[in-house]
Amino acid sequence: MLDYSFLIHALLGAILSGISLAILSPFVTLKKIAYMGEALSHIAFAGIALALLLSLNMTLTTVIFVLAVAGLIGFVSRFFQTEETNVITIFLSIAMALGIVLISLKKDYSFDLASYLFGSVLLINQADLWSLGVLAVLNTAFIVLLYKELFYLIYNMTVAEVFGIKVKTVYYAFLLLLALNIVISVKIAGIILVTAQLILPASIAFRIVKRLKPAIIISVIVSLVSSLAGFYLSWVFNLPTGAVIVLVEFLFYLISLLLTNSKRKS
Amino acid sequence: MIEFQNINYKINQKYILENINLTIAENEFVAIIGPNGAGKSTLIKILLSIISDYEGKVLIEGKRNTDWLKENRIGYLPQKEDFDRHFPASALELVLMGSAATKGLFRRFSKDDKKQAEQALDETGILPLKHQQIGSLSGGEWQRLLLARALLTGSKYLILDEPEAGIDKPGVTSFFDLLAVLHKQGKTIITISHDLHMLNKYCTFLVCLNRTLHCHTETDLLTAEHIHNTFGDAVKLIEKDY
Repeated sequence: MLDYSFLIHALLGAILSGISLAILSPFVTLKKIAYMGEALSHIAFAGIALALLLSLNMTLTTVIFVLAVAGLIGFVSRFFQTEETNVITIFLSIAMALGIVLISLKKDYSFDLASYLFGSVLLINQADLWSLGVLAVLNTAFIVLLYKELFYLIYNMTVAEVFGIKVKTVYYAFLLLLALNIVISVKIAGIILVTAQLILPASIAFRIVKRLKPAIIISVIVSLVSSLAGFYLSWVFNLPTGAVIVLVEFLFYLISLLLTNSKRKS
Repeated sequence: MIEFQNINYKINQKYILENINLTIAENEFVAIIGPNGAGKSTLIKILLSIISDYEGKVLIEGKRNTDWLKENRIGYLPQKEDFDRHFPASALELVLMGSAATKGLFRRFSKDDKKQAEQALDETGILPLKHQQIGSLSGGEWQRLLLARALLTGSKYLILDEPEAGIDKPGVTSFFDLLAVLHKQGKTIITISHDLHMLNKYCTFLVCLNRTLHCHTETDLLTAEHIHNTFGDAVKLIEKDY
């Protein structure tokens, strides 16, 4: 009899990482930090390469690496008074370049770039599933417990501060959580899927509803349905899973654009 | 009482505010007037500790403003509050911002909090709009929303940055009538304004600012000379009739 456990692992992994990222998605898009999510996922790639080269613990190394670079970006843009988005884009490219160089330094290692771009859901093990499960719970708890602070900080951080709301602490905690999500998901879902899962679910949700709480729920549903459909299609037609999930999600995005547009006209 | 002591503020070696010494007593209705770029908003941002790299000292009730603001809320109505027009917040949700800090971390708004927020909306006359998306409010409704949020903080200070911007004349009058009621109830009000006609009727204390302080006086004592010193030739623009 065939062992299908790897398939179930893969499916669970895709669903869990999708849910985790979808919960954060409305906050990321409203705060307009989707580009930061993309940058972090590219920087995570360099972190993974570093861990591979030096045979270190992958998750821990990547988390520390990503946080260090994120701190460096903040420092460089403030200290040298340059535009932060430019600095982020520069570091993003540098990180990819560095990652490729580091991996090429590792002798006798057959490297598959595609698996880092689109992940390798079929290689998920039980430990990955546990960390993804913990992450999903952590994200949910964070959003539920700090909902009002998050709401006002994405609305307008300066004004929220004047009203004495502890937005700075919560914002840094949120970025930390985001980095953690990206690092853990990149290994499974890949750079492209992580970026897509951060921005597409909420973009679709806000076409349908105008309030934050329902948007979070719709984001999660969208992500869940795309993961399931993408997974099924990739299995049936023997296509790369991560890439198919992104395409399915994009299809939903197109439909949401067209449907809400005709509603607005009529 | 609010005291500005020897305030200097420079950007790129250029003075935005120079040698400001000013005391504002309790329960005054203060108007800060001056031409564009006079540093009016900057002065308020220094008071609220939004700007912190200035020289000098700001005291609120005898304490450094930074210390006072850690323990107390202040009712602030910014001139331009940057937000996405499609931001998913209702009027009620935005007003609740005024009590979010007192609520503290990890705690959700209770029914009682919402009731108080509704009361504040009622006080400023826009309770029927409580479920409306904030991006769809008119200029006048928006100012009343900001005022409700400021009231919900429970602060005795109301700081307004050009509330009349973007409102038509009758709207401005009724808004200032509302402020006058709050002033009578004991609030200390500081507002930046361009509208000298309004000020005569409502304000008790006038601050003329143009980088330096030109006068700070009871409204009755304000002379044409004071205004001319502050505004220079720009004064002609302001003396138009309504």
